Amino acid sequence: MTNLEVNIVVKLPDTPGTLVELISPISDNGGNIYSILHYHDKKINNMIPVEITFDLNEELKDISLEKIQKELFEKNIPIDKITFGAKKRHFVIIITGHVFDTDVLDTIKRLAAKGIKTKELQAKFTELEEVSNVKFKFEVPETIEEKEFIEELKKICEEKNLSLIRA
Amino acid sequence: MDIKICLIGKGNVGTSLIELLKEKSEILNEKFNLNIKMVAIVEYDGALINEDGINLEEVLSKGERFRELPYWKVDSKPTDLYKKLDINICVEATPTNPNTGEPALSHIMEALNNGINVVSSNKGPFYLKYQQIEDLAKNNNLIVKYEASVASVVPALSIADCLIGNQITRIKAILNGTCNYILSRMAAEGITFSKALKEAQELGIAETDPTLDIEGFDAAGKLVILANKLLGWRKTIKDVKIKGISKITPQTIELAKSDGLIIKHLAIVDEDELIVEPRLIERDSPLNISGTLNVMELQTKYAGPIVLMGRGAGGPEAASAILNDLINIVKKRG
Repeated sequence: MTNLEVNIVVKLPDTPGTLVELISPISDNGGNIYSILHYHDKKINNMIPVEITFDLNEELKDISLEKIQKELFEKNIPIDKITFGAKKRHFVIIITGHVFDTDVLDTIKRLAAKGIKTKELQAKFTELEEVSNVKFKFEVPETIEEKEFIEELKKICEEKNLSLIRA
Repeated sequence: MDIKICLIGKGNVGTSLIELLKEKSEILNEKFNLNIKMVAIVEYDGALINEDGINLEEVLSKGERFRELPYWKVDSKPTDLYKKLDINICVEATPTNPNTGEPALSHIMEALNNGINVVSSNKGPFYLKYQQIEDLAKNNNLIVKYEASVASVVPALSIADCLIGNQITRIKAILNGTCNYILSRMAAEGITFSKALKEAQELGIAETDPTLDIEGFDAAGKLVILANKLLGWRKTIKDVKIKGISKITPQTIELAKSDGLIIKHLAIVDEDELIVEPRLIERDSPLNISGTLNVMELQTKYAGPIVLMGRGAGGPEAASAILNDLINIVKKRG
C-alpha cells in the first residue's frame, strides 16, 4: 500500500474543544494523523495557526481530501495551505524461523541503514525454543524499488536461515 | 468425417473419456459431422483393438474386466498400433513418472514420429521436454494439445487463442487443489498443517505420499507449461524457484489474518522468474478461493487482469478438456 503525506495549515480559535473539530474530519476520512503543531506565537485576533500532518492512502487521496475539505469548510475551518510530502509504501511481510535468536535488532538496523523503516512488529510463538512467526510492517521510501527492498530482505533472511512470506 | 483415435491409459481419465465419447457421439455427429472411432485402448500389458471402432458401451459394461473381451491382445504396444491402425489422433492418459515423464513422453514422441496428432492429459512430458515436443510436432506438420495437463477443464492454455490480440505480462495462479485445500482448512479451523493434510488424505484429496503436491513440484510443472504456452517462454521445471507449504503453521496464518491477509500457495510468472511459494494475498483478492479449486489471474497489457477459476482435477473434468482438444484438432485439420 502506498501512502501520501499531507500537510494542512488552518486557523483555530484559541478556545477549548476546537481541536477535535479539526481532527475528526481527517480521521473519519482515512487520515492517519501523526503530528499537530500549534503556533501560539503567531496568534492573531484569538486565532492560532495549526499545522496538522497525516498520511492518506494514495489511491483514495482525491476522494478523501475532497471530503476533508468539505467537512472542514462546513465547520467554518477554511484551509490556509495544503502541501504534499513524500509517498510512503508499506509492506507487510511475515518472517518465520529463529527471528529473535538471529538478532532481530540487527535485521531492523540493517534495513534502516538502507532507509527502510520497521513500523510495526508482531510475533507469535509456539514454544520458546521453537521457531517464531513474526509479522513486520515496513515503510519503504519511493526511491527504493519494491524488488530492491525484497532482495535486501531476502539476503538477510538467507544469511540467517529465515523464511519470508510476502505479498 | 471419421476420426480414428487410440487411447493410451484406461485409468480414471481414460474411462471418463470413454464415457464422455459414448454420451456425446450423437451430438458430435450432428454438430460437427464428426464420428470419433476409438480403434485401440492401450494398457501397459496389452490393448483392446478393433479397426472398425471399439464398442464403448461393451468396454464400460466390463469395468475392470475389460481384458476378457475377445479383441484384447496381450502385449500389444502403442508403437506397433500406430503403424498398423491408421490412427489420426493419439490420446495419452497414462500415469507418469514425474522425474522422467515416462512412459507418456515416449508415447507422445513416437506418435508424432509416426505422423499422428496427440492429445495428452500428462504434464510431465511438457514441463520436461516442451521445446522438443513442440518442435517435433511442428516439423511433422502435426498438432499436439494438452489442455487437461494444467488446471484440467479450466481453459488455462486455450485462453491463449482468445488473447491473440492482447499480451499476457504476468500470471498468478493456484494450480494445486491439495495445497489449497490444506491452507483453506488451516485458515478456517485454525488446525495444524499435519491435521489438515491427514484430513485431505482421508477424503482422497491428497495422495498417500503427498510430497509432489505439498512441496510445490506439481504446481511448478503446471507453471512451466503455462509460461511456455502463454508467454512463449522455453523453460523447464529446473527453472522454477519452489517452496512448499509444509512449514506453514496456524500462527503464521493467524498473523496474516490480523491484517486482513490470507496465505495461499501461488504459482507466479513475473518478469523473468518462475516462482512457486506461499504468498500473502488480500482477503478480497480473486485468488482467495477455497477448497480444491484452481484459479489463474492473467495480467494483460491491454485489458488489465483476467481471471479463470474452476475445478482443476477429476476424471470427467479432464475428459471434457481432452474432448475439446480432439474437436479443435479436427477443426484445424478441416
